[in-house]
Amino acid sequence: MEAIRTEGLTKRLGTTLALDGVSFAVPPGEVFGFLGPNGAGKSTAIRLLLGFLRPTAGRAWVFGDDAADVAEAHRHLAYVPAEVALWPYLTGAECLELLARVGGRTDLAYQRELVERFRLEPDKRSRAYSTGNRQKVALVAAFASRAPLLLLDEPTSGLDPLMELEFRRCIAEAAARGQTVFLSSHQLGEVEAVCQRVGILRRGRLVEVAGMAELRRLRRTEVRVSFAGAAPDLAGVPGVGEVREAGPGRLQLSLSGPPAPALRAIAAADLIGVEVREPTLEEIFLEYYGDATP
Amino acid sequence: MTKAAEQDLADAVNRTSAVGRAVSGLAVRQVRRGALVVLAVVAGTSALVAVQYRLVFADTFDAASLRALAENPAIRTLFGEPVALADPGGFTVWRTGTFVAVLVGVWALLAATRITRGEEDAGRWDLLLASRLPVPAVLARQLTVLAGAGLLIGLVLAGTMIVAGTAPGGSLRYGLAVGLVATGFGALGALTAQLAADRPTASGLAAAALAGGLFLRMVADGVESLRWARWTTPFGLLAEIQPYAANRTAPLFVLAAATGTLSVLALAAAGRRDVGAGVLPGRDIRPPRVRLLRSLAGFAARRSLRSLAAWATGLATYYLLIGLLADSLTGFLADNPRYAELAAQAGLVSLGTVEGYVAALFALLAIPVGVYAAVRISLDASDETNHRLALLLALPVSRARWAATEAGAVVVAVTLLALVSGAAAWAGAALVGARLGLGDALAGVVNGLPVVLLCLGAALLALGWAPSAVVPVGALPAAGGFLLQALAQSFGWPAWVGQLSPFSHVAAVPAEPPDWPGALGILAVAATLAVVGIAGYARRDLRG
Repeated sequence: MEAIRTEGLTKRLGTTLALDGVSFAVPPGEVFGFLGPNGAGKSTAIRLLLGFLRPTAGRAWVFGDDAADVAEAHRHLAYVPAEVALWPYLTGAECLELLARVGGRTDLAYQRELVERFRLEPDKRSRAYSTGNRQKVALVAAFASRAPLLLLDEPTSGLDPLMELEFRRCIAEAAARGQTVFLSSHQLGEVEAVCQRVGILRRGRLVEVAGMAELRRLRRTEVRVSFAGAAPDLAGVPGVGEVREAGPGRLQLSLSGPPAPALRAIAAADLIGVEVREPTLEEIFLEYYGDATP
Repeated sequence: MTKAAEQDLADAVNRTSAVGRAVSGLAVRQVRRGALVVLAVVAGTSALVAVQYRLVFADTFDAASLRALAENPAIRTLFGEPVALADPGGFTVWRTGTFVAVLVGVWALLAATRITRGEEDAGRWDLLLASRLPVPAVLARQLTVLAGAGLLIGLVLAGTMIVAGTAPGGSLRYGLAVGLVATGFGALGALTAQLAADRPTASGLAAAALAGGLFLRMVADGVESLRWARWTTPFGLLAEIQPYAANRTAPLFVLAAATGTLSVLALAAAGRRDVGAGVLPGRDIRPPRVRLLRSLAGFAARRSLRSLAAWATGLATYYLLIGLLADSLTGFLADNPRYAELAAQAGLVSLGTVEGYVAALFALLAIPVGVYAAVRISLDASDETNHRLALLLALPVSRARWAATEAGAVVVAVTLLALVSGAAAWAGAALVGARLGLGDALAGVVNGLPVVLLCLGAALLALGWAPSAVVPVGALPAAGGFLLQALAQSFGWPAWVGQLSPFSHVAAVPAEPPDWPGALGILAVAATLAVVGIAGYARRDLRG
């Protein structure tokens, strides 16, 4: 039985079609990345999986339970929203206690360990927490719940690099325990580091579901080469995309896949300098989709 | 200064004033709906009473009965000193002035804390303050908008009174005073919003000041030697103007000066604090208190505790006073049959006995307690838009179960509020030796609970189907029902119109035996509304 399955999931919000016939499945134990620019419908999809929104058409199941039947479906999952709001008068520890007791399945020892690892100040009222600290409370609650499915909606947008690293460790631990992770993000590096498979959403449609190896095909590195004498011969070299002359003795090329063949070809010339720049996710999307609209 | 620098400066000024206009525009949009509702209620009630006076009461007040009324300390304490009852305007001010002043004051202070501290709590201020305007500049614009709205309400009230045929001099002073009361409480709300670090505390502080002011007015009117204290409270100042009688102007200046002082203090405090923090130090570090966080029901109770304590204190104080005045008021009505007749015409039968008197006042209890129920359910609507419910509702907790748990907490809370009020009235009556049994007092308050539960049902209905209107819809059965019954009786509307009010199906317990079929009917409607509302809440999309 799949951890998540959707069939033709569609949601109309007002006049816009926020999600348009999305069908996919995530097998148990997989770490699945959910990519897409802002406004592509990632959060809408997650809120449909949570039963917070009713689908206009289509259905979704969580471990075989209809997503609309939240009392059943939510037994299988824990959720970290993109924008975590806590009750301002409760401390972090109190929020964790409430979520653990009402959720009724939390590993309290692991919860204490996570509070340490994420350096959460549990005795602080949540109104005094920064965005990142509120996110940490939600992350600790979700990971400590040991739920079979973790639904994470851009969970690291407020975390510093150190905590981001801790987050990736937790994902690895969850995966090692056999938990399924559904990670919505627009940080390609994060997704690449932890996910086995990704789905890419654009304007409410799922345009691609691919394994990580295939995703690397998407990833185009930009290389600038300056050289004395003859230009390196890059014709037919695997992985090399568009090659442009960027002035006398300078070339600019885009590279995808394993870089070794291209670098060998470049090294054959009398090199003065090589500059490698990884494009931002936005640039990849622009290249991939051809325009800037989500 | 170079041309370019001058141009830059001019651009900056233009941008700043554009941002300022946007801030003012936003404030107008945030307060206009509530202001229009308050304006309609204030002007409507005043006009109705003024017209009703001409139709019903004119020529019934002779000098002796007026003097008796004015000299009765209980009457003075509850309604203020009657100074011009022979005039339709004076009568209207006496009958509705306190209600009008409290209504505009509560509206203004809640609106002020909502658009200032509330927006800051929600993080929406960060965007505004990232622009070129500092906090005091934003606050100044919001204060201006609140003052404008308050004075508009006052001027429309004055105009309405003039159109209703009362004297222009008194109308203008009364309207202006009401407008200044609104503006003053708006400034007070803005000040407490700078002092406290969260909106509930800010609203609570300002509301406590309002309740204190009202209490001070009652004491000053009831105790001869403390008359001077009327100058220390806005409600007392309103009375000192004596609209339609002495028509004094000096109290208006005191009200204006107080408003100005509060505004200046608010602006000064705004400049001295960090965004997101208050001037008063908040205790943000404390050991966990988890006793009530182990179940949904416990959490629902914990969410109620603080506001419940405040409501209970306010209601207990009021009903203690009602109990203390029981003998004095009923004795007055027994000695002045003309007023007893008038009261009977207004539907308040047997006001001359302690049982009849407390029964009439216990019926009124349904209004504040019904509003409490609506406000408490509106917390779920606002938590939903603020995303606070997301983590809880992502647990294996169905929305129907959560709403039912919250509704259960409200049922317990309103029952407690009723019992506390009844016990306070009994204690007050016992202190002055008035004959009111504890059982009778508690029966009286419990008798009013069906109307309160109807409010709860209406609030749940709104939560399910119109979540932005929980408070008005939830308060409608009690507040609207009471108004409808009073109007239907005063103007002799057809019987079925009055029957629409839930109050027409509630007996005057303890003066009469309970109306069981009426109570059961109201409870059936309340339960239906609740079920339909919770079903809608469980089905609809969550907002936010």
